[in-house]
Order: sequence, then structure tokens, then C-alpha cells
Amino acid sequence: MVVDPSEFITFNEWFPLAIWSYAKIVLLLLSAGLGICFAIAVVRHGPTEAIYIISRAVTGFFSRDGVLVSPRRVIALMQLAIKESLRRRVLVVFGVFVLVMLFAGWMLDVESENPARLYLGFVLTMSNYLVLALAMFLSAFSLPNDIKDRTIYTVATKPVRPLEIFWGRVLGFIVVGTILLVVMGVVSGIFVYRGLDHRHQVETTSVEFDSELKRHSGETGPAAYHRHDFFVDEETIIGGEIVGTTDPIVKEHRHQVTLKEDGSLQIGRPQGSLQARVPMYGKLFFRNREGQAEDVGLNVGKEWTYRSYIEGNTLSAAVWKFSGINESKFPEGLLLEMDIRVFRTSKGEIEAQIPGDIFLRNPNPKPDADPTRQACMPIPFQATEFAASEVFIGLDQLKFQDVSGQLKPLNLFKDLVDENGELEVWIRCRERAQFFGMAQADVYLKAQNNSFWMNFAKCHLGLWMQMVLVVLFGVFFSTFLTGIVALNATLATIVLGMFSGFLADVHSGEIAGGGPLESLFRNTTQQGVTTDLDVSEGTSAVMKTTDRIYLRAMMLISGHLPNYPEFNTIRKVAYGYDISNHIIARHTLITFGYFLVLSVMGYFVLRTREFAA
Amino acid sequence: MDIPEAVDSEQQESSDDVSDQQQLSAPSEGTEGEVIIETRSLTKVYRDFWGRPKVRAVKALDMQVRRGEIFGLLGPNGSGKSTTIKLLLGLLFPTSGQALVFDKNSTDVSKNERIGYLPEESYLYKFLNAEETLDFYGRLFNMSAAQRRSRTQQLIDLVDLNWAKRRQLKEYSKGMTRRIGLAQALINDPELILLDEPTTGLDPIGTREMKDLIIKLRDQGKTVLMCSHLLADVQDVCDRIAILHQGELKELGRVDDLLTVQDITQIQARGLNPEAEEEIRQVIERHQGELVTMEHPTTTLEDLFLKIVRESDSASKAKLTEK
Repeated sequence: MVVDPSEFITFNEWFPLAIWSYAKIVLLLLSAGLGICFAIAVVRHGPTEAIYIISRAVTGFFSRDGVLVSPRRVIALMQLAIKESLRRRVLVVFGVFVLVMLFAGWMLDVESENPARLYLGFVLTMSNYLVLALAMFLSAFSLPNDIKDRTIYTVATKPVRPLEIFWGRVLGFIVVGTILLVVMGVVSGIFVYRGLDHRHQVETTSVEFDSELKRHSGETGPAAYHRHDFFVDEETIIGGEIVGTTDPIVKEHRHQVTLKEDGSLQIGRPQGSLQARVPMYGKLFFRNREGQAEDVGLNVGKEWTYRSYIEGNTLSAAVWKFSGINESKFPEGLLLEMDIRVFRTSKGEIEAQIPGDIFLRNPNPKPDADPTRQACMPIPFQATEFAASEVFIGLDQLKFQDVSGQLKPLNLFKDLVDENGELEVWIRCRERAQFFGMAQADVYLKAQNNSFWMNFAKCHLGLWMQMVLVVLFGVFFSTFLTGIVALNATLATIVLGMFSGFLADVHSGEIAGGGPLESLFRNTTQQGVTTDLDVSEGTSAVMKTTDRIYLRAMMLISGHLPNYPEFNTIRKVAYGYDISNHIIARHTLITFGYFLVLSVMGYFVLRTREFAA
Repeated sequence: MDIPEAVDSEQQESSDDVSDQQQLSAPSEGTEGEVIIETRSLTKVYRDFWGRPKVRAVKALDMQVRRGEIFGLLGPNGSGKSTTIKLLLGLLFPTSGQALVFDKNSTDVSKNERIGYLPEESYLYKFLNAEETLDFYGRLFNMSAAQRRSRTQQLIDLVDLNWAKRRQLKEYSKGMTRRIGLAQALINDPELILLDEPTTGLDPIGTREMKDLIIKLRDQGKTVLMCSHLLADVQDVCDRIAILHQGELKELGRVDDLLTVQDITQIQARGLNPEAEEEIRQVIERHQGELVTMEHPTTTLEDLFLKIVRESDSASKAKLTEK
């Protein structure tokens, strides 16, 4: 799974930077807002009166309207927004959701090799889009409708403060969205669980017993478009029962197989298809073919530079430095999960996996430490391309070669982990003229599995925060725009927020074809994106300059809008990775930051607008 | 029909103040008493999208409304009556000049604690029923649940909508909507009530009840500012009026002063024979007067209609009793 590099930044590293940029944006908005309002006031009332008006507005917020908010009034307006949403047939959205669920079987590939990924991706993406669309429509039309129908007259002539009107709407729509999201979450959970749940029967004719190994083996019958091989060793007793398992993993799951007292074999429910692996990521750097440290590895000519490569049968290595390694976290050894890509320059046996070696090394050995005990002997592995593989390194597996050439055991925590709890994992490709490709997230230590359902809930929390942001923008725009314009403005913030990365790539030229004007010209004149424009230099310069200015403006705007993809953790859940708490904390703080800024902006817009104009 | 007063301590306090004030200043004394509303050169210019002046709706309006009086804003359509009320409520901002309510700027939200407002149309949430509507507006005044319950029931009884209190407002007739609109305007037992065309959409009985109610509110010490283009309504209830035309104040004063035609004497008498009438004519001629009319007086259409309806009601009731 591709992991955004920003995810490796911990909350503590992110927080000071975020606060600083937030303060800058707030100051910028404050100065721009005050400047514009002052200019308007000067034109209308003259400079002296303008100073009085502006200072009265600012002090009014801090002395009254910003602090004397009545929860009862906010709740009343919130309940009104909820009733209004129900009147606007908000339940239709849930009806659409259920309808799509009922016919999901028609759209989903039931023979998929990754059914959990498919099901989870489908239900969560659908919930996401439906809730965002709902939030957008509800929030953008509510206040403009009140102003159009003049029902706002009977509210604004009561002792209701602008902030209460803003918060009442926002909270009302958030409550509606939350209820809908929770119900959708429950229905999605049931859909996924039931969709993945299946039972196999034992294919009795295939069962064999190896009396030497005391092992029953055989094949299961078909279910959910697949079968499993299985084995049960009579010596493996867990909880008083003789149990075995299906092997290898098929469609991302196994089943427990139990040998009953009457000699029959029973196959249990699927295990492992719904999980939340907790990866412990390390910091990646490289060694070149001479063994010298580099920040990035080789570029094998791929346009996508997410992964770097190391050359086989040289001193090239990818090195991950992990921290926080101790005996309590890894009492039995290290479980490495790897997703390594292979770039082949010689065909060889195309189906054969490329071998590699893993070394564990102490990054900061003590000065008096035995140099032979600072790294372990290579641990061989095979790179399974396009699929994650696990390598378990047991504590008794670690050996070193002493001066006499003898292999002797190493203690992971005493010899290889330094005083700071850090450990280096080196990976080398063993085969000449072949290359291993890796990114920071491709190799990690698997500390434990968290509860899948908790992870599922965390994913919904991310969707919820996206919904909150959309509601905030929708209500904010609706304070000064008509319904349809507010809807478009909200949609624009979502699109800009979702595609800010794309905009940056177009601006930097990483995506060929130019900006909107140039690409429109290329499309209409059927010119390829990589060829020079077939126009005069002057025309080309005008087009490119216009595009540059436009893209700069768009990037400036999108840079201050929520980065919606960052909140979208659907891929993590679908691929079975735990959503770390520091990401949740970061998202929560970002959402709260937008809540504060948009509330204040909404307040001043409502305070300065004439409802009866 | 007594107008119920809200029972919370804050409102009680304000009601006490009102009674004291009532004693201090008689409503008939138009130029005395505490000033509740004051406009100083109040001007409102509506502008177009580009900020160019489009309509000058109110022009340098100077007026005062005092505690305990019923003040009428009178004028034809488009004369600036509703704009003035919206300026006083803070729904519009003055282009220049000042609008002060309870000595506070009209844009100050806190003044709304003591105000009740019935808009021209009852702009209410149609998906709520009468009880929910009043409960909602009660919450906006920070009233407790118990206060809201009791006040809601009192006002529903007052506007005689007990039989329809659970029906959504979208099912209400125009008259019923006006009544619930009035109830929401009184939810906080306000000191100042602004009524924009209060009798619009009401049948003659409803109109009479509304006018009676306005007078009762005044009798309770409340100040009422109403605007209307129905002269009869204004004449019946207002102590003072201001006549606006094209945004300008044309006339301001006590209704009876303004309506009294000083140089005409109207004579009405009962049981005179033709000889006596002739004698009166001669007396007028002797004193160099000109007799304009001497005729039997007529009642108003409204009074006649009410008399007929009431008599009809009484007859029906009597028949039912006989049976």
C-alpha cells in the first residue's frame, strides 16, 4: 500500500509547524478582513467613523457576541435544522444507500482475490460520497432559504446572536450527518461481515493421514468461489482441542480446522480477512553499490519516483532504522512485513522469486563492544512481488560468526539494539542484474493487531470530520451567497481540496500538457501533451503565462483549504492497516482549526449583513 | 380576553417596571413619558449590485415613540413604513442617521429581549406545529422548559388555536397563521411590540379582536408601534400617528388632534321634529354659519357586520337552548 510520507511525521513533530502556519493564516485573514471592512467603512462613513465602526465590531465580538453564547438558543436552532433536514427528505439518502447495498452483488467482483479490500473499499467510499453530498446540499441551502422565505426575520428579531445562528445550523447538520453515518456504518459493517463470512465443508475424499507425522491433510469443499488445502497435526492441541489450519492463505484469510473426538474434521469461520495491523515504521536510507550512505536509491527509469531501487549482488542496501525496540514489545522475535518490488534487467526464470538477505545491525554499538557481534548473519528471504509477505525472525535465529568462523547465538536486545532502543534492518538483493524497489512504508515491524472494528470506527471518524468540514464551508458560504452559489462554492472547496496535489503537479510541470488554457488548446487542436505547442512564440507565452497565473491563484486557495484526501483513511482500513492515533489527533486539530476560523468569519458576515435587504 | 404575562423572574421584573411606568405616564400624554423609540435623521437608501443608489426608502426621519402609547405609521404602499420597522429591528442598517430602541442602537441584539415583532406575513417555519413554534421562539428567549410550556398554552388559548395546536402551520389558513404569528410576538411578554400590517388576512371578527388586543396591550403598559395602510384600523387604535409618503414624514401627531376639523361643527340629535330642525337651521344662519349636513348618522360597515353576526349567533344559541 502506498503511504503518504506525511504520515511518518509524528503528532509532536507536526504540531509546532501546524500551529505556526495556522497563526500565519489567521493573521493574514484577520488583516485582509479588517482592511477590506475598513476601506468600505471609510468610503461610506469617513475615516473617523470607520475606526469607530471597526473597533466596535471587534470589541463587540470579544465582549458580547463571542462570549455570551446561549447553549439553549444554539440547541433550539440545532433542533430546527434537524427538523428541517428531515422535512427535506434526508432519509432518501439512506434509502439510496440501502438500495445500492441490496444490488451490490451485481457490481462487485465476487471472485476477487482481495474480497475484504473490495467490500470495504466499496461500502466506505459509498458512505463517504453520500454523506459529503448530503452535507453539501443541506448546509448550502438552509440559510439562503430562510432568508428567501423571510423566516429569518422572526429569528433575527429575537435576542439571537450571529454566532448562535451559525453554530445552530452547523451543529444541526452535523447531528443529521452523524446519525446517518452511524447507521450507514452499522449497515456497512453487517454487509462486509456477512459478505466475507462463509463456511467450507471438508472434501472427505481428499483427506489423507500421514502416520509418521501424525498429520491429517486434505482439501476443503468450495465456498465463496474458492477452496483451501489444510492440515491438522495431532500434536497441536489448543484449548483442549486438536487444531490445524488451512494453508496457504487464500483470498487473504485462513480457517481453523478442528479434529473432533469422533474423528471428523470441522472447518471454522474465516480468520484474518478483517484485521488492523499496527505497523512500526522505520526511517529509510540507502547504501549505494560502494556501500556509501545515500538518501535515495537508484532510479530505474520509472516516472513514479515513490520507490527507490538497490542493485543486486553489490553493496547496495536499503536500511531502515527502527526505534522503540524492546523485549516487552517483541518477546518472541521480530515480525517483518515486506512489500518489495522487483525490477528485472535479465529475464531468467520469470516465475522464480528473487532472493534477498536481511541483516539486523546495531546502529550505535558501544565502543568496547565486540565488532563481530554488531550484526547478525544474513537471513534469506524471497521477494514476493505485488503482495506483502511476512518474515518472522525468532530470537534463536540470530547468529554471528566469531573469529574462528563458528556460528554463535546473538542476543537481539543486548547486541543489536542500542541504548536508545534503535535497530537497523538492512535488505540486500542477492541476484546480479536484478533490483529491489522500496519505499519507507514497504518494510515495517508488525507489533500487534488492533481490533478491526475499532479501526473501522476510526475510519468513520475520518469521514465524519470530512463531513464536518463540508458543513462548515457550506454554512459559511450560505451566510452571504444564495443557495445554488453557496453549493457551487462548497463543491469548489471540495474539488480544490481533493486535487491540490494534482494542481501542484500541473503547476510544476510534472504532469505534462500545461494548464487549463494550454490543455484546452491542445485538446481542440488534437496536439499531444508532450510535443511543443504548434503556435507562435507570442501566443504560446500568453497561454503559458495565463495558465501560470491561474494555477498560482488556485494553488494559493487550495493551500488553505482542507486536504480532504488526507482525511480519507478508507485505503488503510481496506488494506488492513491500523489508523494511528496521531493521525486522528492531527485530523481532529485541523477540523477544530477550521471550525474556529469559519465560525469567526461566519459571525462577522452575519453581523454585517442585512437580512431584509 | 386577558393577555397573559410571562412568569419568569426577568419578565416579572420588566412587567413591574411597566406598571410603574404606566402610573407615571398616561398613554394619552403623547409628548411625555420615557422615549422607547427614537429616530434621528434616519435615512435608508437601497443600492444596486454596484452600490449605486436605487431607491431612497426613508428620508431623514425624526420621530419618537413613548412608553405606553400606540403609535401608527401610516402611508400608502412603498411609503417606507415597513422599511422603518425593519430599521428599528436591525433587519436593515441605516444609510445615515440613527435608529434607537430602548436607547440602544437598533443593531444591538440585546434590545430584542424586550421586543415582540409580528411581520407583515407570518414568516414562520411551516413544518412546525403551533406548540413547537412557540416552544422554539421561547427557547430563543432563553426561557426554561416550564416557562415555555405554560406560556405556550396561555398564548394558544389567547389566540384561540387550542383546537389546532398540533397541526403543522402549513395546514393553517392565513388568519390562523396571523394569530400564531401574534402569539410568537408575545412569547416573551415584550415591552415594545412592533406590528407590521397586523390586520392583514384577518376576517372582520379577527380584525376587531386584533384591535381590541392592541388596546389591551397598551392598557397593560406596553408600547405598540404598528404600521398599516388601513386608515380605519389606525384610527380605531392609535394614540399618535406618523404619515409617511415616499419615505418622508408628512404628518405627526395625536390622532384625535389630526382628525378633528376645527372649523366644522357636526350636529347629531335624536327625536327632533322637522320644525325643530328648521329652527336649528335658522340659528346657524343667524350666526353667519354654513350648514354642511344635517342628516341621520350611519354606522360603519364593520359595526353592522359584527352586529349581524352576533345577533345571528345569539339567535342560533337561543334556538339550541329551546330545543
